[in-house]
Amino acid sequence: MELSKAAEKALILLRSRICNPNFVFSALSDKPDSNYSKLKFLLSSSVTESCNNSVLLLGPRGCGKIPVLELVLQDLQSEHPETVSVVRLNGILHSDDNYALKEIARQLCLEHDLEFSKMASSDDNSQFMIAMLQKCGLDHRTLIFVLDEFDLFTQGKQRLLYCLLDAMQSVMSQAVVVGSSCRLDADQLLEKRVRSRFSHRKLLFLPPSKEDIQILLEHILSLPADSNFPHDYVVEFNEKIRSILGDQRCKAILTKLSDADSSVNNLLSFLFRSICNMDIKESRFLSTKNFETASKSIHQQPKRESLQDCSILEHYILVCMKRLETKEQNSYNFNSVMKEYKVIHDAFPIYVTHYERDRCLMAFEHLEQHGLISFEDVRGQNPSVQFRSVKLLVSSHQLQESLNANSSSIPGKIRTLLMS
Amino acid sequence: MSNGEVAPNNTIHINNLNEKIKLDELKKTLKSIFQQFGNILEVLAFKTLKHKGQAWVVFEDVSSATNVLRQMQDFPLHDKPMRLQYAKTKSDVIAKADGTFFPREKRRKHDERVQKENGLVGSKSVSPKRAKALAKDLYAPASLDLPKLKKRKKSEEAANSSRKTRAMVSKKPTEKKGKSRDGPKRRVYYKKVVYDGGEFDVGDDVYVKRREGANSDNDDPEVEECFFCFKSGRNLMIECDDCLGGFHLKCLRPPLKEIPDGDWICEFCEARKEGKKADLPEPPKGKKRRRTAREKLLSSDLWAVHIESLWKEPDGSYWFRGRWYVIPEETAVGRQPHNLRRELYRTNDFADIEMESILRHCSVMNCKEFSEANNEGDDVFLCEYEYDIQRQSFKRLADIDNEEEDDKEAVKDEDWESCSDSISDPEENLKSARKKLNFSASGQSSGHGFAANAQGGKFFGLHKIGTKKILEHVKGHRQTEIEKAKATLLLATLPKSPPCRNKEMEEIIEFVKGAVSNGQCRGHCLYIHGVPGTGKTMSVLAAMRNLRSEVDAGRISPYCFVEINGLKLASPENIYRVIYEKLSGHRVSWKKALSLLNEKFSDDNKVRNSQPCVLLIDELDLLVTRNQSVLYNILDWPTKPHSKLVVIGIANTMDLPEKLLPRISSRMGIQRLCFSPYTYQQLREIISSRIEGIEAFDKQAIEFASRKVAAISGDARRALEICRRAAEIADYKIKKSSSTPDFSSSGKNHIGMAEVEAAIQEMFQAPHIQMIKSCSKLSKIFLVALVHELYKSGMGETTFEKVIHKRSLPLAANVFSLCGSNKEEFPGYDTLLKIGCKLGECRIIICEAGARHRLQKLQLNFPSDDVAFALKDCSELPWLTKYL
Repeated sequence: MELSKAAEKALILLRSRICNPNFVFSALSDKPDSNYSKLKFLLSSSVTESCNNSVLLLGPRGCGKIPVLELVLQDLQSEHPETVSVVRLNGILHSDDNYALKEIARQLCLEHDLEFSKMASSDDNSQFMIAMLQKCGLDHRTLIFVLDEFDLFTQGKQRLLYCLLDAMQSVMSQAVVVGSSCRLDADQLLEKRVRSRFSHRKLLFLPPSKEDIQILLEHILSLPADSNFPHDYVVEFNEKIRSILGDQRCKAILTKLSDADSSVNNLLSFLFRSICNMDIKESRFLSTKNFETASKSIHQQPKRESLQDCSILEHYILVCMKRLETKEQNSYNFNSVMKEYKVIHDAFPIYVTHYERDRCLMAFEHLEQHGLISFEDVRGQNPSVQFRSVKLLVSSHQLQESLNANSSSIPGKIRTLLMS
Repeated sequence: MSNGEVAPNNTIHINNLNEKIKLDELKKTLKSIFQQFGNILEVLAFKTLKHKGQAWVVFEDVSSATNVLRQMQDFPLHDKPMRLQYAKTKSDVIAKADGTFFPREKRRKHDERVQKENGLVGSKSVSPKRAKALAKDLYAPASLDLPKLKKRKKSEEAANSSRKTRAMVSKKPTEKKGKSRDGPKRRVYYKKVVYDGGEFDVGDDVYVKRREGANSDNDDPEVEECFFCFKSGRNLMIECDDCLGGFHLKCLRPPLKEIPDGDWICEFCEARKEGKKADLPEPPKGKKRRRTAREKLLSSDLWAVHIESLWKEPDGSYWFRGRWYVIPEETAVGRQPHNLRRELYRTNDFADIEMESILRHCSVMNCKEFSEANNEGDDVFLCEYEYDIQRQSFKRLADIDNEEEDDKEAVKDEDWESCSDSISDPEENLKSARKKLNFSASGQSSGHGFAANAQGGKFFGLHKIGTKKILEHVKGHRQTEIEKAKATLLLATLPKSPPCRNKEMEEIIEFVKGAVSNGQCRGHCLYIHGVPGTGKTMSVLAAMRNLRSEVDAGRISPYCFVEINGLKLASPENIYRVIYEKLSGHRVSWKKALSLLNEKFSDDNKVRNSQPCVLLIDELDLLVTRNQSVLYNILDWPTKPHSKLVVIGIANTMDLPEKLLPRISSRMGIQRLCFSPYTYQQLREIISSRIEGIEAFDKQAIEFASRKVAAISGDARRALEICRRAAEIADYKIKKSSSTPDFSSSGKNHIGMAEVEAAIQEMFQAPHIQMIKSCSKLSKIFLVALVHELYKSGMGETTFEKVIHKRSLPLAANVFSLCGSNKEEFPGYDTLLKIGCKLGECRIIICEAGARHRLQKLQLNFPSDDVAFALKDCSELPWLTKYL
């Protein structure tokens, strides 16, 4: 009983660890050449030497750009209390310059206990921002602007970026602009005059290497020795983890995982699935089997599965569309598909059952909802489905596969029809 | 208080000179003016704060001096009437001739002091008794006497009570003022008052008596005594940087020949630091150690005050409004380790004080002046921060000079009496506003009355911001060479004049001069273009600064200067509003502003007596609207007769006028100035002029950086940023290696080619090669399939699965065949699609949205050679090479 309780607690701990990016990325931060230490040096030197800087954090999604930045900011705020204020913007929310300026003003007001007015014009807000930059400069207070999804700020005239970077050219101000983007060419998106003011520090966040993944796994999965878990349980749990990680099967699973997508996020979602499969009642420990089921669920092929779930009529429709395409008929709609359906029905009345037109229309709409076919013209809701031209989004290879899988219900003749 | 007391002599003392004129120039002009009266021996002027706006002219004989005094009194020199009087001291030249010359001692002004003492004792208009009583009455509570209270609450109370007493002080005269308003007599404001033989200007710093008994007039040594021999004497003295004690060089053990460079600490302080007990030498019997005013101030027996305004009450007494200085001990946090001994804080607390309580001058300087001042006497203090008494927070002083100059400008034209009311009032307004603000913050949320971000350009509550404590890292940090280099390479640290742009600057100056001084200025418009970072705006601003000094010197007529940045406007039309606001100070809507401006510039009568206006529009291309009316309006004004408007437009594109409507280009495109990109020699000069005197950079490294930038863009900002980044990289390496003891030996402290190379790499190279190298295995295969297809079919674009062209394979099939022939597991179509989308997200490839699935079009975003280079020797998948 006690053991199962401990197992439950361990499960909760592991889950909370996986959901906390700060914990995950702290494992990789103490290496001397890590992005963490570079970024930390950059930011803390601009705080202590009171200079302006602008940095871009580049790298694919899920590689810890923002978590590492948050770690650094946390450290800075504890090391230099009251001298660092952070303004956070996100390109998805604030790509409009006026909204962005308003949001900056709001956050600055909040941080410094000032009254904020929603009614202020954007001119007022931008002047307020510049005034604040100066005031904070006079206080030796560094403002750090974090621009997530930096590439989205480059739409339009880039007024916000220009204002920010131009204000940083004066001696009085003391600010750092940190942009984070998954686009590697983010700095090329800047206008010439904005780019010239940008100081072009770039940090590249790469997906973790094999060794890093190993470190991460151990860091996340092993239980801490000095906790209120029963000591034997901790020892056994960690022993099991080590043996699992050393296991050949598990290694194969992990390589397969990182072959497709080696980002940390992918690894975490895989771990989360495998932990949720842990048996609290019986074995009370993680096992290789948990990892296997998780691997299966993460390597799902959604299109193939939804194709296999299709009804016979839907298969007929797909086959008809495929036949139309092989006839090099580039544009077709529901009516032409029905004509083709009639042709195969007439040719093979024994194999191909006849369905009513209404039925077919329903099946057709169902296919569209599943995203196996799509209408070509996206704009405007044309009321009559029958006349809109459609496209097949399934390859012949996949269709063949699915027909083979449903061989019990679909006669083999149809499969040959597809080829002809 | 006239100047009649001083006996006629050879030397004329001049003050109220224009302070903005350079010393050499000033001396020259003075010499040329006074030469007609007689032979001049010497013209003396100093740039120190105490002697600003003053000069001494030494004539060969007394009669010519008297002549000068009679004829040249109030002669306007550089816009200011000069005040002449006989000098109180003999100049060195005359003294030498007389034979009464003795060399001046370091840090003292002996003669002046004697005079002052005499003045204090002798020529008092109010009886000393009353003065003391007054001083006692005002300052008796002396609540700031409890500086080292650890409990914050208590010290707050102290501050509160002190505020009360000070408020009381300031109340008195306001009541008087109220009375005087009814009566015929009013306060008379002065810019300068001669009182008790000392001259007190607005803006001077003075000592103020604090308590009775702490000092009496006869115990006011301005000259410090030596710690050893207890005589002041005329020998050279040295000051300990720790306890500020003075020592004769010859009295030291062992005696020093000359003053050493850097910090010097006396033996007592050194001993104290080592933990030993050091006894100061006992003074000889009958002689008490005398304390100087400085010592008294620092032990809070005196106060220092900054004079804000001076006036005479109707009853004939002289008062001034002062701004207090506090010593670090009197702040809430107490003395901090980084505080210098001579450091003071300026407060935001004011009081009206009778002139009676002034002791004498002292000088409070900012950091730069302080470091330059070494021969200034004992009463020199450093002030870098403003201390907010209410909030107990610190604020760095901005460039005081600039602000004050502006203030003076504003005040100069008006009558001093007329602005007397406005001096005390805004403060009270502010206080009441603050009270309201506090009230509203504590109570329910108010309307937008005091919102910080909206108040028609005036922001409320910004004064709240301030650090509670000045952190140690800011001050007292000794910079290494590399850190110094980093600081000077900052884009923000502007050089005085932009190097390598002399020709362009001259042209701008010529243009503005011609436009402004010409009475009939018409159609003056200059278009400046050049790529970013070539110093366009900086040159114009530097030129305007130069012109400003010429205006001050009276060589050209005054004009107003409006600077606008096109990208900082919310919309192009807003420019009218901004211009109108800057010209008139009123905020109106842009439509109203447009009509008002039209009126202003086209109406003859209105314009004729106004100043010419120079309008600088940065990023001019942003003002181009669909019908281009904004640009047309702005460029049309200068062509109006008597508009007196000069427009300088700055933009990047060379052919902006040609892109515009003909009626605009004909108005704008006539005079142009091109800022060509910097060549590598110029860049080298720019960089090396910045890091002059700092031994951090290799010559080659600078050369390399400047050549590289010149080849790419010629952007000075880039070049500076590269060097700064290189310095940063070097600094990072050093700091890292010093934290790990094994590498401490390899502490090379300069920036070489390697660092510059790294910085250039980071700045100019997209990081895609690194990214491709470290992406997942399937992504690599995906990319190779793309490249392979490109080589085979010669077409850049391919689809995910749909066959468009007979000869080319779609991507999925390609990957399938690659995997099949090299015994790799095919991942499945869905996974493949996902990988493609991920690569598209990073813009390694360009692709359509994933919803298009089979029809998705794909294309490499980088040259295929980059992929080939990155994946050439990939250890994971060696077979990739044969497809590249």
